[in-house]
Amino acid sequence: MKRKIPLAICLIMGVVMIIQFFIPHPISLAFNRTINNWVIVLMAFALILAIGNLIRHHGIRISHRQANWPYSAVTLLGMFAMAIIGLIWGIEPESLYQKIYLNIFAPLSASMFALLAYYMTSAAYRAFKARSLEATLLLASAFVVMIGFMPFAQYLHPRLPAFAEWIMQVPNMASQRGILFGIAFGAIATAMKIILGIERSWLGGKE
Amino acid sequence: MRWYERIAAIDRRIIYIILSVLVIIPFFIPFTMKQNIMPQTQRLYNFIDSLPPNDKAIILSLDYTPQTMPETHPMAIAILSHCFAKNIPVVGMSFDPQAPGLAIDAFTTVVDGINLNALTREDSVIYGEDYVYLGWKSGRVAAEIQMGESIADVFPRDYFSISIDSLPLMQRVKNYKQVSIAIIIAGADYPQDWILYPQARYGVRVGAGLTAVMSPKYYPFLQTGQLSGLLSGMKGAAEYETLLLKNGYVKQLGKAETGMNSQSLIHILIIVFIILGNIGFFFSRKRK
Repeated sequence: MKRKIPLAICLIMGVVMIIQFFIPHPISLAFNRTINNWVIVLMAFALILAIGNLIRHHGIRISHRQANWPYSAVTLLGMFAMAIIGLIWGIEPESLYQKIYLNIFAPLSASMFALLAYYMTSAAYRAFKARSLEATLLLASAFVVMIGFMPFAQYLHPRLPAFAEWIMQVPNMASQRGILFGIAFGAIATAMKIILGIERSWLGGKE
Repeated sequence: MRWYERIAAIDRRIIYIILSVLVIIPFFIPFTMKQNIMPQTQRLYNFIDSLPPNDKAIILSLDYTPQTMPETHPMAIAILSHCFAKNIPVVGMSFDPQAPGLAIDAFTTVVDGINLNALTREDSVIYGEDYVYLGWKSGRVAAEIQMGESIADVFPRDYFSISIDSLPLMQRVKNYKQVSIAIIIAGADYPQDWILYPQARYGVRVGAGLTAVMSPKYYPFLQTGQLSGLLSGMKGAAEYETLLLKNGYVKQLGKAETGMNSQSLIHILIIVFIILGNIGFFFSRKRK
């Protein structure tokens, strides 16, 4: 029974939601409206669950004094501090919350991501070698796209930007479209298997 | 150590120092390089430019995070500048929980810049009449579909907790019928959801501003017309800034232009190092 009821709900809701998508009748629209509002509320609860999990995970690390536990303390401190500051003093453009976000959080996050430039340059120098025909083709197309998208490419050759754009518009698009079709067919097949109860791993536990 | 072995084994610290210097140079020695405008940038610009003033609104879904801010924040600022210069109403929103702080900053930067020099009501931009920011909402896909029926259902209150029924702009923008285009600026795969659901069901036009690494995936949607335009990375933002300057909507270029100069120098550096690495590799292999 514990498995049959969720499977029945999945089957009924899956079929009904597919049918209602193609029928713009007021009853169908009202049903869709109710379900969408449920989804929005449920997703908000998922966030509460995530916060609870974060507190539990880092709380255990701190209480057991596990390796690098001070980082867990900083994580929890940051989360509670931002929540309290936002709740008490508001989140308006001139608020303390916004000042902390723009002057501490944003530069720190951007700096972490910017480190990629260093790793990418070093990795490209060491690993991007013309070892085979495929690697040489990849190297050549990467060169053309990189140079072609630079502002001064038109001074190197007037048709270089157009050639770089052609690589993106034709070979790139053909492969991207193939990937998209593959993903779409895979998604349809998986959705059908879940709706029809063939794929049951989402229920958890053993068969 | 032979010469080709030496150029194939440059210390990474030297690479890091050169890279740092090249990133910094354009900020202290500004220079301008003429941007060649990509067709997808021109398409988005032309679409917004062709919209009549004070008519249908633009939905601007600002879903980028600080990690991708250098590429995406200038896009948001450029599009907002264009819309406000043309008196096109803007309805802002976010579906990424990290995004509202940057979205508010983009609106504040553009609006303050315009209102500082405004002499009349027509010159100024007023919250609730010319633009609104609805804040963040969970359940992205469900929210995007539901807004086709009623935006107030999804966002009963705006970011500042004001009931949206009391805002003059939202009294006339009820759902996608009063929206000319939804432009999604993101560092992740958010525009695809807009194409799959609101566009398929309600026919809403979709435009996008994405990081350069995300953009190649969206070329098929450009070709089919499902995407009405695309700003690709920092280059897309710099191109949009150039178009705004060329057509007299702004008086100076924005931050993307400087960023683009740094990025171009780094790309040259990467190309030079890849060539050096390959010369070293080629001669080493030949000798073996």
